[in-house]
Amino acid sequence: MFGLHYKLERKAITLVLAIIGVASIGGIVEIAPLFTIDQTVEEAPDMRLLTPLELTGRNIYIREGCNACHSQMIRTLRDEVERYGPYSRAAESQYDHPMLWGSKRTGPDLARVGGKYSDAWHAAHLANPRDLVPQSVMPAYPWLGRRQARIDDLGRHLRALQALGVPYTEAMIEHAEADAYGQAAPNSERGWGVAERYGEAANVRDFDGQPGAPTEMDALIAYLQMLGRQTAIAEAAGDAP
Amino acid sequence: MTVDHNTLVYAAKTVGLFYLLAMSLAVLIYVFWPRNKQRFDAAARAILDDEDGPWR
Amino acid sequence: MLSELTSGQRQAALIFLALVACVGLFVAGFGGADPIAAHGWLVLGVALISAFAVLTRFHDPEPVADRSGSYYDAPVKAGIILAMVWAVLAMFVGDWVAWLLVDPELTFSEPWASFGRLRPVHTTGVIFGFGGNALIATSFYVVQRTCRVRLAGHLSPLFVLWGYNLFCLLAVTGYLWGINQSKEYAEPEWYADLWLVIVWVAYFVLYLRTLARRKEPHIYVANWYYLAFILVVAVLHIVNGLALPLSWAQAKSYSLFSGVQDAMTQWWYGHNAVAFFLTAGFLGMLYYYLPKRAERPIYSYRLSIISFWGITFFYMWAGSHHLHYTALPQWVQTLGMTFSVMLLVPSWASAGNALMTLNGAWHKVRDDATLRFMFVAAVFYGLSTFEGSFMAIRPVNALSHYTDWTVGHVHAGALGWVAMITFGAIYASVPWLWKQKTMWSPRLVEVHFWLALAGTLIYVFAMWNSGIIQGLMWRTYNESGTLAYSFVDSLEAMHPYYIARAVGGLFFLVGTLVGCYNIWMTIRASRAAAVLEGDHPAPRPALETGS
Repeated sequence: MFGLHYKLERKAITLVLAIIGVASIGGIVEIAPLFTIDQTVEEAPDMRLLTPLELTGRNIYIREGCNACHSQMIRTLRDEVERYGPYSRAAESQYDHPMLWGSKRTGPDLARVGGKYSDAWHAAHLANPRDLVPQSVMPAYPWLGRRQARIDDLGRHLRALQALGVPYTEAMIEHAEADAYGQAAPNSERGWGVAERYGEAANVRDFDGQPGAPTEMDALIAYLQMLGRQTAIAEAAGDAP
Repeated sequence: MTVDHNTLVYAAKTVGLFYLLAMSLAVLIYVFWPRNKQRFDAAARAILDDEDGPWR
Repeated sequence: MLSELTSGQRQAALIFLALVACVGLFVAGFGGADPIAAHGWLVLGVALISAFAVLTRFHDPEPVADRSGSYYDAPVKAGIILAMVWAVLAMFVGDWVAWLLVDPELTFSEPWASFGRLRPVHTTGVIFGFGGNALIATSFYVVQRTCRVRLAGHLSPLFVLWGYNLFCLLAVTGYLWGINQSKEYAEPEWYADLWLVIVWVAYFVLYLRTLARRKEPHIYVANWYYLAFILVVAVLHIVNGLALPLSWAQAKSYSLFSGVQDAMTQWWYGHNAVAFFLTAGFLGMLYYYLPKRAERPIYSYRLSIISFWGITFFYMWAGSHHLHYTALPQWVQTLGMTFSVMLLVPSWASAGNALMTLNGAWHKVRDDATLRFMFVAAVFYGLSTFEGSFMAIRPVNALSHYTDWTVGHVHAGALGWVAMITFGAIYASVPWLWKQKTMWSPRLVEVHFWLALAGTLIYVFAMWNSGIIQGLMWRTYNESGTLAYSFVDSLEAMHPYYIARAVGGLFFLVGTLVGCYNIWMTIRASRAAAVLEGDHPAPRPALETGS
């Protein structure tokens, strides 16, 4: 019988198949059940989608590698809940392609930073963190306020996310560019559509304090001010870790 | 057939366990099968013989 | 390197490079204002330079008709040199970002020079640039020697090496230009990922074909590890990289997975990249070079097989320990923790096997810095796998996660284990490859060893301290029952450790530079010897004197 094993082993391909068989099982077992997880995760019916401008901000956050130093995942530990707010729920990142939970806190967690500071604070802090927090080791991003955010292809971004299961409507896709402009230009005609499509909770204001087309600073601040405010399920649960 | 979360979790916990035991057993039998000892010893020593090029 | 190709193969290489250049031009043209256009130009440039290199050697004399009587070492040599180049580059960037955490102003006010863009250049550069090239080069070396057969192909080994380095180049330039899909240790965008799949398939086929041609009846265990590395990394890379690009001419893509699924996929990938890239591959290295250098067979061949299957099996379950106390379902967390602890058994079996092999050859470890590199690597492998299992325990992880302790753990593995075994393997291979008795200067190997060891220890101790202090400060309460320290308090407490870490990194970098110089001088000595002998390949006396 083990003569057979010997012959099998002479063929390298058997080794290949054995490695695949042995190695794949762990991953399949762990990951496959997660795709049915929506059956067990609490629902967030009030979940609001990222506006086009906030999505632009999220992509800038990714581009600059902010997730290397800032987590967006409050664990179910007493001190974290007291420091950062109610612990993060699975439903809160259900539309995050990819998720930005992070793995390191060189800076503080940002899962619920939205609304904690003013827009002006963020604008000054991003331009030079040490003006506000002298001990900070965060990089300065002075160029964000000088660069126009790219918003002309946002329809395509929303379309891609829609294909992946994020419930963006056709109207949202069609008005993506206008909404991105309007969200940072509250008194313009385009500003009205944002609340109409994304709900009254969406922040419509001039985030960076500079009039005109949205800058990358506008987009990033819009994103930061939204963090933790897409749904109220965590607050509603009245948290005890 | 509808696969729900609990079924998958159950399968993961049971089949996974049996798979682990069966695999460990197979590896141990293979490794400690008396006839294989010689071959393993030969393989361990073989890399130490130096040759200047491939065998023809 | 090209002199071992026939003229037909040189033509094929040119045609292939022309095709790649066309793809580059196409992407550059259609990319327009998108950042992908820059990568189009980059690919075009690299392809043209490579084609030029082929053209200058195009009319060199043909190789001997039957090449199967010798090993194909040109790609091994090139891979070792590339590994060292990436090592210097990536460790320099690593130390730079370490200093940025000491003083954030130590950079230029340019987008590309900010911490968030430089950090992935460091991680990709060391893991894939340095580690990957070292793995490819040594796997080519080991598979030929243990199978007693020449590599199965002449163009494909060069393609694997060239294509792989093009991938690394696309990755790191992409980060600097703001192309990053955020997945940790898998930051490159979809097109670079696709390119790596092509390269990796070629690598796999080449490896398998070489194994199939072997003259030894048994496949030596080092090849098992290399094979597992190639195979599993392919699976991980493909699954984790699944994404939907905005269009064929845009760099940006959105991951197929979201939220908790994405987190699990990401850490299934992330942890197993550690397992199969940074562990299995380098264990392959260990199982060949350590017995070879110590001139003793591996202590227990049986144990090496048991630990092989143990590692292959257990590691795949361990990824979820990166997500303790998060929104991931608790049963997955528990599963990850359990298997992480069980993983200690095969890990220590490997480390113990390596150390027992040296038992009886301690005088060699004392006298030979190359073997000492491998010895220290085995010790650090044992230490960091123990630490890893320990940190995977939920209550420990509550303290260690998100802190510098993780960074310390990673570097105990990356500097102490991966880099040390690689330097050991390189110092062993270089004289063998360039036909020298020893390295140009064994004393400099000694200097490198002590710099590397000191650097690693300083780094790891600094991060252990800072990580534990950080973790404790975050969860300390005062008498009135409120949190005692603000986040900024903990940041201030890190400052001295960040300085120590950056100094430790500098030691390690200087050691690597010493190593580069030594390798360079060894190659020069080899060339000088070749000129003395009349500028033709040395005859092989071993064949004449045999029998």
